[in-house]
Amino acid sequence: GIPPSQTLRSDHLEMEPETMETKSLTEYFNKMHMDAVMGKR
Amino acid sequence: MLSGLASLRSRHTFHDLSAVLFRMEASCLELALEGERLCKVGDYSGGVSFFEAAIQVGTEDLQVLSAIYSQLGNAYFHLHDYTKALEFHHHDLTLTRTMGDLLGEAKASGNLGNTLKALGRFDEAVVFCQRHLDISRDAGDKVGQARALYNFGNVYHAKGKSTSRNDSEPGCFPEEVTTALKKAAEYYEANLCIVKELGDRAALGRTCGNLGNTQYLLGNFRSAVASHQQRLLIAKEFGDRAAERRAYCNLGNAYIFLGEFEKAAEHYKRALQLARQLKDRAVEAQACYSLGNTYTLLQDYERAIDYHLKHLIIAQDLNDRIGEGRACWSLGNAHTALGNHDQAMHFAERHLEISKETGDRSGELTARL
Repeated sequence: GIPPSQTLRSDHLEMEPETMETKSLTEYFNKMHMDAVMGKR
Repeated sequence: MLSGLASLRSRHTFHDLSAVLFRMEASCLELALEGERLCKVGDYSGGVSFFEAAIQVGTEDLQVLSAIYSQLGNAYFHLHDYTKALEFHHHDLTLTRTMGDLLGEAKASGNLGNTLKALGRFDEAVVFCQRHLDISRDAGDKVGQARALYNFGNVYHAKGKSTSRNDSEPGCFPEEVTTALKKAAEYYEANLCIVKELGDRAALGRTCGNLGNTQYLLGNFRSAVASHQQRLLIAKEFGDRAAERRAYCNLGNAYIFLGEFEKAAEHYKRALQLARQLKDRAVEAQACYSLGNTYTLLQDYERAIDYHLKHLIIAQDLNDRIGEGRACWSLGNAHTALGNHDQAMHFAERHLEISKETGDRSGELTARL
C-alpha cells in the first residue's frame, strides 16, 4: 500500500501570475505627440 | 568678418549635431517601440534584443530610458532570468530617484519586490514592497496600493512555502511558516478590500486564487474552496481558460484534504480537459498524475493505472526524468495493490534505475523497499 502522505503530496499549487508594473513607451510617445499638437495650436 | 564666419560654422555644426541627436533619439525610440510590441505578443527574447539595441543608440530623454530599463527588466523576468531582471530594475530605480519621479520609483520598487521574491531574497523584497505601498498611499493611488498589497502577499506566501519542509502536510507546518502564511493572508485580505471598492474583477480573481492557496497551506480547506470557487467564477466571466484550469486544479487539491475524493476527481478532470485545450503538456501531465493518485485513494486501481500511464507517456515525451520516476513508483504501487507482481516489479525496477540517475536518495531507498 501507499502511505497517504506519499499520495497527498502529489498536489501541486497553482499560483496566479505576478503583476509587473509597466512603463509604456507607446503611451508616452502618444502623449508627446498630443502635447506637440496642442502646443502648435 | 572672420568672427562672422566662425559663428556661422559653429551654428552649422550645432545644427548638424542636433540633427544627429534628433535622428538618434528617433532611432532609439523606434527600436524601443518595436521591443515593446514584441514583448506584448510574448516574444520576450526578441524584445530584449530591440531594447538592448535602443540602449546602445542611447537617448537623452530620461523618461524613455526609464521605460526601457523597466521593460527590459520585465522581459528578463518573464524569461526567468531574475539576475538580469534585478539589474535593470535597479537601473530604473536609480534613474527615477535621480529624476525625483516618485510614481516611476513606486513602479520600479514594485518590480524589484517581485524580482527579489523570485530570487528567494524575501527580506529585501519586503523593503521594496513597502516603498511601493508608501508612495502609492502618499499619492492617494488606490490602484497602486492594491498592487503593492498583492505583491506583499505573494512575498509572504513564497517565504512561507520556501521555509516549509517538503514532507510537512498543509496545516502542520512549523510556527515560522504559519506566521509568514498568516501575514500573506492579511495582505491578500487588505488587497481584497481595495479591489472590491474599485470594482476591479480581474485583480479580485487573482487575489482569490492566491488567498485560496494560502488558506489551503494553513489547513483551512473550506475557506480555500470558497476562495477558489470565486476565482473560478471570475475566470469564467473573463473567458480566461488558463485561470479556470488553475482554479479547478486548486479545488481538486482542497477536496482531497477534505476527504471528498469523487469531487476532487471531477475537478482534476476539468483541469485535464482545459490543459488539453490549451495544449499545455506539462500541466496535462500534472493533472493525469493528480487523477492517478485520486483514483488510488478511491481504490480504483485500474483507473489509477490508466492515468499514471498517461502521465508516464507525457513525462517521457518531455524528457522529464523525475516525473517518469514518480509515474513508475505510482504504477508499481497500483500493480502491487492489484496483485500484478510482475508488472509491479517491472515498474519498481524502472523507478530504482531513474532514482539512481536523478540522484533521488529517498526515491532510491523507497524503490529498494
